[in-house]
Amino acid sequence: MVARARVITRRQMLILVAALLGLLVLALRWNALQQPPPTTHDLFPYGELRVGIDASYPPFANTGPDGLYGLEVDLAVALAERLGIPVRFVNLGYDGLYDALRVDQVDVLISMLLIDPARRDDVLYTRPYFNAGLVLVSRADSGINSMDALPGRALAYEFGSPADAEARRWLRRVLPFETRPYELGRYALDAVRLEQADAALVDAITAQLYLNEHPDWDATLHYVTDTWYAAATRADRGPTWEAINQALEALAQDGTLDRIIDRWL
Amino acid sequence: MLARLTPLWYTVRPHWRWPIRFLIALAVISALAPAPPRAPLGPPQVVETVKPHVCTHTRLIDEVEDWKIQRTLQMVREMGADTIVEFFPWAYIEIAEDVYSWASADRLVNYARNQGLHIIARMGLVPHWARRDVPEEYATLNTLPPESYDDFAEFVALFAERYAGVINHIIIWNEPNLAFEWGYQQVDPAGYAALLQAVYARAHAANPEVVILAAPLAPTLEPPGSAHGLNDLLYLEALYEAGAAPYFDALAVHTYGFTEPPEAEPGFDRLNFRRAELLREIMERHGDAAKAVYITETGWNDHPRWTKAVRPSQRAAYTVDALRLAETEWPWLEKMCLWAFRYPVDTLNYPDHFTLVTVDFQPKPIYYAVQAYARGWQQTESLWLPAPAS
Repeated sequence: MVARARVITRRQMLILVAALLGLLVLALRWNALQQPPPTTHDLFPYGELRVGIDASYPPFANTGPDGLYGLEVDLAVALAERLGIPVRFVNLGYDGLYDALRVDQVDVLISMLLIDPARRDDVLYTRPYFNAGLVLVSRADSGINSMDALPGRALAYEFGSPADAEARRWLRRVLPFETRPYELGRYALDAVRLEQADAALVDAITAQLYLNEHPDWDATLHYVTDTWYAAATRADRGPTWEAINQALEALAQDGTLDRIIDRWL
Repeated sequence: MLARLTPLWYTVRPHWRWPIRFLIALAVISALAPAPPRAPLGPPQVVETVKPHVCTHTRLIDEVEDWKIQRTLQMVREMGADTIVEFFPWAYIEIAEDVYSWASADRLVNYARNQGLHIIARMGLVPHWARRDVPEEYATLNTLPPESYDDFAEFVALFAERYAGVINHIIIWNEPNLAFEWGYQQVDPAGYAALLQAVYARAHAANPEVVILAAPLAPTLEPPGSAHGLNDLLYLEALYEAGAAPYFDALAVHTYGFTEPPEAEPGFDRLNFRRAELLREIMERHGDAAKAVYITETGWNDHPRWTKAVRPSQRAAYTVDALRLAETEWPWLEKMCLWAFRYPVDTLNYPDHFTLVTVDFQPKPIYYAVQAYARGWQQTESLWLPAPAS
C-alpha cells in the first residue's frame, strides 16, 4: 500500500499564516500594554531638551552677540515648546556632534545632518525637515521644468560647486547643452534673471535667499537632487526619538515648520 | 537527495510552484555577483612634475577594493604630485601583542611604488592591548600610556625596517596639542617629547636613512589650561623646552587658510596659511634652522554654508597661489601636501569639501588647477565667466 502524502490546501495555509500573524501582533501589543507610557522624565531625564548643534552654518545656525540664532535654533525652540520642556543648546563642532550624542551629552542633534545609512546602528533619524538639494531655477515662462529640457539651452552654475559636478553628470546623459560657470551662485542666478542663460542650477538655500532679494522676478524652482536634513537621537532611546519625531510632525502639520523656514529663507 | 525531494515537490499545489521556482531562481541569480575588477600592477610608472613640492594626503588604508587604491594613486600621479601622506594605524597592523598583519600596508605600498610615488607614513592609533590598565571608559583610540611608549617604538622600528628605502619619512603621532588626539587627556608637550625620544634611536637603528618627523600640531588658539588643547605655537615652544630637539629630524606642519587668502599676514592670535612661518621662527630660535619642514595637511574648504569656508573659485585660486608662495618664499619647505585627495566614503558634511576628487573619482575643478600648476601647463582660459552685466 502506498502512503498518500498529506496535502495542505491553500485555504489551510492562509488560515495558518493569519493565525501566526495574529499571535505575533497580540504578543507585541500585550507587551506594550503591560508597560505604562513613558513620562517626560523618562524621555528627557535632565528635564530639558539638550540640543547638539554646530552653530557655524548660517542661516541654519550661527552665533552672534546675543547668542545662537538661525532656522535650526528656532526649530529646536519650537520643538521644546511642543514637548513642554525648556531647551538647552550645546554648541559643538561637526566632528564632535555624533560623539556627544553617543556619550549622552545631548538628547538630539539638529545641525544640518544628512541621513547617513552608515550610522543607522547607532542613530535614529527623524522625519526630514528641509530639502537643501540642487534646484533648477528658470523664468516662469521658459517651460524648463527638468534637466531633460536643457539640450540646446544654456545652464548657469557656480564653478566647482556640487552643481558643477551635477551639470557634468547630466552632460553625459542628455544631448549637449551650453555650460556657463560663474564665480558665485548668485551670478548664475543673475545670468538667468538678466536673460544671459536659460536656467541656473544652485542649491535650494542659495536659490531661496536670492529669490527673497528679487521678489519681483517671476521664477520657478524644480528639485534636481534631494539633500534632506533630519534630526538625530541615539538608537537606544526609541521613545525619546518617537516623542521628538511626533513633535516635529505636529510642527509640520500645523504650519509652524513652514513659518520658521519662511522666516529665514 | 533529489530523488527524495521529487515526491515532496509534487505535494506542493501547482499554483505555489511558480512562486517557489521564482524565489529559487532569484537566489541563484543574486549569488552570481560579478567578480570585483582586478587591478594588476602593470609596468612601473614615473611621475611627471615640474613642482616637486606638490604632495597630497590620501585616505587609502580604509579602502577595501584594490582597484580604488590603484585608481586613486594613478590620479595622484597624473596630477603631478610625487608624494603622498598616508596613515598606517598601529592598531590595524599589530593586532595583538607581537602579532602582525602587514597585508593592507604591503598592498598600499606596492601600488604606490608602482605609480612612482613616495610615501610619508603617519603613525598612530593605539591597539586595544597597548592601552594596558587604562579603564575602558577613559580610553580612546589615541590613549597611549607611558608604559606603552616602548611598544610603540618597537612597532615604528619594525615598520621602518620593513619599508626601508621605500618609506623613509615617518611622522610620529598626529596633532598631540589636541586633547582628542592625546587620548582625551590634558595635552602634555613633555610627554610627547618622551615619546619622540623612545622612538628616535630605535627607528634610526632599523633604517639609518629614516627621517623622523615631529607630529604636526593642530592650528588652534586654545589657551593654556584649556580642556580642548593648546595653541600650536605655545606647544612647539614647550616641546623645545622639554628637550625634544635631538629626537626629530624635521617638523611636520598642519596649516589651513580658513577664510583668508594665502598671502594674509600671520599672527599669534590668527589662524591662516602663513601660520607655518611662525612655527618656523620658533624652530630657528631654538637652533633648528637646518631641519626641513613638511606641510602634511593644508588647504581651503568650499562648503556652501560653513563659516570657515570659501567659495570653490577662491579655493582653487588660493590653493595654487599658496603653492606658488611656498615654492618661492619658503626655502625651508620640503613638501606641501593638500588635504585631502579623496575619501573612501562621503562624510556628508563640510569635510567632503576639502577633497580634490569625489568618492566616485570625479575630479573637481581644483584638481585640474593643481595639475596645471604641478605639470607646468599654461592655464590660458579663465576658469569662470565674468559676472553678468546688468
